[in-house]
Amino acid sequence: MGRYVIRRLLQALLTLGIVLFLLHYLMALSVQIRGNPATLFFGGERTPDAAMLAQVERLYGLDNKCYERVGDPCLTPFVDRLQQYVTGDLGTTLNGNRDVAQLLGIYIPNTLRLFIFATITLVAVSMVLGTWAARHRGSFIDHTVRGTTILADSVPVFLILLSYVYIVAVPLTRWARGIWGTESFMGQVFRPNYNPDYPWTTIIIPGIIVGTVGLATMTRLIRAAQLENLGSDFVRTAKAKGLKPLRITVVHVIRNSMIPIITGVGFLFAFMLSGAVLTEGVMGIPGMGRMIFEAVQRQEANLVIVGLSVSAVVVVFVSVIVDLLYAAFDPRIRYE
Amino acid sequence: MAETVMRVIGDTLSGADLNAPLLEVDDLRVEFQVRGKRIPAVRGASFTLEQGRTLAVVGESGSGKSVTSQAIMGILDTPPAHITGGRVMLHGVDLLKQDEDTRRTVRGNHIAIVFQDALSALNPLWSVGFQIGELYRVHRGLSRADAKKRAIEMLDLVGIPDAKNRVGHYPHQFSGGMRQRVMIAMALALDPEILIADEPTTALDVTVQAQIMRLLKRIQAERHMGLILITHDLGVVADVADDVAVMYAGEVVERAGIRDAFKRPAHPYTKSLLRAIPRVDTVGQQLEVIRGLPPNPASLPSGCPFHPRCFAAEDKCATEVPPWLEPSETHGSRCHFAEEVYADER
Repeated sequence: MGRYVIRRLLQALLTLGIVLFLLHYLMALSVQIRGNPATLFFGGERTPDAAMLAQVERLYGLDNKCYERVGDPCLTPFVDRLQQYVTGDLGTTLNGNRDVAQLLGIYIPNTLRLFIFATITLVAVSMVLGTWAARHRGSFIDHTVRGTTILADSVPVFLILLSYVYIVAVPLTRWARGIWGTESFMGQVFRPNYNPDYPWTTIIIPGIIVGTVGLATMTRLIRAAQLENLGSDFVRTAKAKGLKPLRITVVHVIRNSMIPIITGVGFLFAFMLSGAVLTEGVMGIPGMGRMIFEAVQRQEANLVIVGLSVSAVVVVFVSVIVDLLYAAFDPRIRYE
Repeated sequence: MAETVMRVIGDTLSGADLNAPLLEVDDLRVEFQVRGKRIPAVRGASFTLEQGRTLAVVGESGSGKSVTSQAIMGILDTPPAHITGGRVMLHGVDLLKQDEDTRRTVRGNHIAIVFQDALSALNPLWSVGFQIGELYRVHRGLSRADAKKRAIEMLDLVGIPDAKNRVGHYPHQFSGGMRQRVMIAMALALDPEILIADEPTTALDVTVQAQIMRLLKRIQAERHMGLILITHDLGVVADVADDVAVMYAGEVVERAGIRDAFKRPAHPYTKSLLRAIPRVDTVGQQLEVIRGLPPNPASLPSGCPFHPRCFAAEDKCATEVPPWLEPSETHGSRCHFAEEVYADER
């Protein structure tokens, strides 16, 4: 077990290193090809004074000669940046000169909340529906569950978001406020946009909507996993041992169905990142997705790199967790 | 030993009569519901098992022998399987009439089963100690630690070396033969009176097969158990069984003592099976085979289901269902010409 954990952690570190370097290299290439982002500091259209430009370049670490040679991997600035990250210095934005670490302090918790609600929705709904469909295999219920989840999955997230914001949210909020009042939980939960005074309450609905991404995939995974185990030889053995159905389900079916479920959640996590960009945009949530999107639009090289690095860290972290959960559930993996 | 058995029976099976046969299966019928149609899998299986005896149930794949054993255990899934008739009498108590709670108690306590492929029959995610101990914890209410102790004893009993350490291992860490021993240990945990071994050696190589059969035989003798040995291999049967029931197309077509059945079969099917066994004294000759394939249970031939493949078939075999004839007191056969086949005149 110990060796397994260490090996997975080392692999994760290596992956992270490669991802960080690729990010850096892509940004370096874009500077080399598209031109110096430091000119943005002066509004982008004016030609700034050479001395001032040099000063700004130095300020943002763009003064290295490698940025003028197309294809140069710019290793020195890469190492410099990593060293800065280690000391906790994530740099500043080009526009407004704000501290990136501070911005992350605002954005990360919001996206985290969004993901918590999305994951809960995804796992809870697909577990219930998948188990239900497996129990009634081949029946009307089975087909209905599979049809509905496919439908929910094929409607794009932004469509669900827009129809929620423009059709459902306002009348629902008005109705709820009429009964429970504006400041109550119910008065806030249906709001069509984020409210910084209620950071948890107003993220529930967006979280649920993000959670519908991949619902069909998950439901089918769970259905298939449970069917496979319900019909397996060891469940027949468990019956022959005189165990009660509830014990068979809990001890011999659910644990064996966990592997594909864990895989699915880990896999859909990356998917939900893209759902988060749209959701945060439409619902006005100041989160990582919206931050990266806007950073790209404004050519905020540093902000893009930091934002993507954070999501890379998250994805790698999640896959390490998934690997460790595998081992916790399946001894065949543990003793590999 | 007799005392323990009586205590267990009194506790867990009310109305048990110890003078009645250990297990009596009478005209058991099982059908499967497949796409709205009812397909018969077992069409009247009857046999009796006494304490300390070994009954071999022999038949081709699809002859209904595994379904019969699972119907006795009560572990068929309904739907698709439906038990439509017959009786399964354990100590004179009809199991088919008992409620699910009683049947659950019977499983493991009175009747246990060893399945064919131990690798898939054991849960890959739990240690063998857990899976054996589960029986003690669920049926006897033992603590985890006590259950583990008992599991070690059982592993020791079935000849697994270093049982103390092996108890925490997982099924994939055992070899095929050792895994089958684990299955046997699990089946024997609650000291059942009947052990059903459903093709216990099919997935194993020949030397290991012999070891497992010897183990089953030894334990049966020690515990005075009734053993039902389900197999398609007549060679395995010859050494270990006392009685044999031959199944074809869902029914028992011949029932006899093992020696009698081998020497003087009373059903053409059994006779053909025996001729198809390779023997030392026929080396170099071509083996006889049974023509054709086992019938599809959804569309059985009329009359005697074996008649299209039978060497002795006549016109009436295709139209009349043969009766159960008994050429001798202990030898029965479902064939129009049972007497003649028995007398080796056909």
